[in-house]
Amino acid sequence: MNSPDWNSPAAAKRLARRHAAERRFKLIGLGAILLSLAFLALLLFIMMHSGLGGLSWGFLSGSDSTDPHVAGIWSATKGSILTMLVTLVLSFPMGVLAAIYLEEFAPRSRWIEWVEVSINNLAAVPSIIFGLLGLAVFLNTMDLPRSSPLVGGLTLALMTMPVIVISGRNAIKAVPPSIRDAALAVGASKVQAVFHHVLPLALPGIMTGTIIGMARALGETAPLLMIGMRAFIVTPPGGVTDPSSVLPMQIFLWSDEIDKAFVQNTSAAIIVLLAFLLAMNGLAIYLRNKFEVRW
Amino acid sequence: MILTGVLLAVIGLGLVGWFAARARARLLYTGRGSMHSMPGYHGWHMALWILVPGLLTWAVWSGIMPGLVNGAVMADPAAAQLPAEEMHRAAILAEAQTLAANPDAVAFDAKSQALAEPMRAAQTRFGFMGAALILIAALAGGGYGFTRVRARFPARTHVERAVLALLLAASLMAILTTFGIVASLLFEAGLFFKDVSPIAFLTGTHWAPGNARGVDIDGNFGAVPLFWGTIYIGAIIAMLVAIPLGLMSAIYLTQYASSTVRKWIKPTLEILAGIPTVVYGYFAALTVAPIIRDFAGSLGMANPSTESALAAGLVMGVMIIPFVSSMADDALAAVPRAMSDGSLALGATRSETIKKVLLPAALPGIVAGVMLAISRAIGETMIVVMAAGASARLSANPFDSMTTVTYQIVQMLTGDQEFNSPKTLSAFALGLVLFVVTLILNIIALRVVKRFREAYE
Repeated sequence: MNSPDWNSPAAAKRLARRHAAERRFKLIGLGAILLSLAFLALLLFIMMHSGLGGLSWGFLSGSDSTDPHVAGIWSATKGSILTMLVTLVLSFPMGVLAAIYLEEFAPRSRWIEWVEVSINNLAAVPSIIFGLLGLAVFLNTMDLPRSSPLVGGLTLALMTMPVIVISGRNAIKAVPPSIRDAALAVGASKVQAVFHHVLPLALPGIMTGTIIGMARALGETAPLLMIGMRAFIVTPPGGVTDPSSVLPMQIFLWSDEIDKAFVQNTSAAIIVLLAFLLAMNGLAIYLRNKFEVRW
Repeated sequence: MILTGVLLAVIGLGLVGWFAARARARLLYTGRGSMHSMPGYHGWHMALWILVPGLLTWAVWSGIMPGLVNGAVMADPAAAQLPAEEMHRAAILAEAQTLAANPDAVAFDAKSQALAEPMRAAQTRFGFMGAALILIAALAGGGYGFTRVRARFPARTHVERAVLALLLAASLMAILTTFGIVASLLFEAGLFFKDVSPIAFLTGTHWAPGNARGVDIDGNFGAVPLFWGTIYIGAIIAMLVAIPLGLMSAIYLTQYASSTVRKWIKPTLEILAGIPTVVYGYFAALTVAPIIRDFAGSLGMANPSTESALAAGLVMGVMIIPFVSSMADDALAAVPRAMSDGSLALGATRSETIKKVLLPAALPGIVAGVMLAISRAIGETMIVVMAAGASARLSANPFDSMTTVTYQIVQMLTGDQEFNSPKTLSAFALGLVLFVVTLILNIIALRVVKRFREAYE
């Protein structure tokens, strides 16, 4: 067996080929990222291009109408705000309490395992299934008012709760055991140690998760279609039991209109919705950077 | 109306009780170690004794009061001429209720006008009755709680036990939700399968619920075209976009990009996942679909439709990219560094290391991530509602309009419909299939991920 000749032209050629393959591979990777980002840029550009002209005070403060030039989004925005309030009031306490229990108090038992499995699965169940649940339970069984922010908020709360539980558990897990031990060592009870010391330290993480969950709920349309929130609403809802629409639903309804002028309205409403989402995510990132403690 | 006021009153009482018990406990304090619990715990203990009985009575009464009121109204002489038919009677009673709350409301039925007055009287009577009961329960609880404010009384232990019960109840909500989903889907789908045989539903190839009448009902509920459309759009076209792009982005970001580039690109890419699906749907319908239609036309297809599987699948794929990318990211990060270092030390280039060492080692994690991505894609609703179309057909042509399970669920449950017709109930049967399939995908994927992590730890 003769040793390979590293300086032969054949070897040099092979090496060049391997390096070319390396460069090609790297370029493909870069290309994949650029393509994805280009798609994002295209989407944003088209929405801006066709929607910016439609943004005006009248548009922000008006209500839905069959005339595209007077139609506005205030009734849908107010519906969204009310729905989100219901969602937040229900899912935040429930999610945080459940996360505390599972992370700090739960005994190792078959029951608790079931709870964990069902939380992980609920986080991945398609949102439309939650809509079917809302339709069957809240509307047909409990007779709550159709297309109201109350039912929408209840449905979205069930959807958001697993997200809050999962992020809450991670935040609580990240608090070092020494904090608990120190509290217990000076005579605090387990409940005191958790509520006075662990929870305040975990709160920024929990808030970040909650905001992200709420942002997802704000953009959600499919489950709300199921519970009848696609009505043509001209007056802004006065309370959580009035029929109302929400921003994504308004976008969906307008996108179906034949009148060309609604294209501008739809895009403008999308810009408003994206601005809300961006603000929420920005707040989440700010909270994380400001309060996150690296142990 | 009265009940809402009572609810506020109970909460106010709780607050008063909290202050009162705390103040009394403070008076009992005579020095270090003289009391078992801090005054605040006595306050909470007292407040719980007011709120729990009060709120429980409130909930029970709110549940039974409408029945009592209707019973009283039916006993009124004015109700004697009400129609015997259940539905009609309920409608008139509901109208009378609106009138009782707001005398200016317009009544469609004259009978309800006559009933408004007895309705209001009954509501007031039972409202006050309930208010009295609720307040008695709250005050009795509060009285008992107040007698317990003693120096040696372990208020903290009691309050903490109540807190633990609350925590447990909150975590059981998750099981309750899962149970609610399964029960409601099974129940409604069960009603559907009384009319339509499950075998015809799962294996039939003709979907036309609009024509389903009488004997040939089975033949019009064949859901195979919907399953095919769902798989074709969500699991084939979308994945053909998302897997290469997501995987290559993850590889580039973890293996090649500098940390600054990574720090900026990754969150930007994540924006794609945060855009609401209704926006994607609108984008697909407004921009992507016409381009694809023109493209199909230039390929020589006759009458290409605006709605196409390709438009929906492409856009859905883009939406899934960040998801695949972050799953692949996790899977690649879990491979021990020694493996790639060993390969590099032997003289392999980076791309060779990635292709021959990293990817095979991370494969189980990547496959699990793809399964989760598929489960997400087939449950996606708005994009297909806005871009994929309504025609149920078994076709492999991506330019054809195709329909999916989620599209048909929306179709069956919105617009005019009578509940309990096989047409609307079919939505729940489709929902059940969707739930079971995504559940299986999720469970397998989570198992694989767990096993895969353990293998390298």
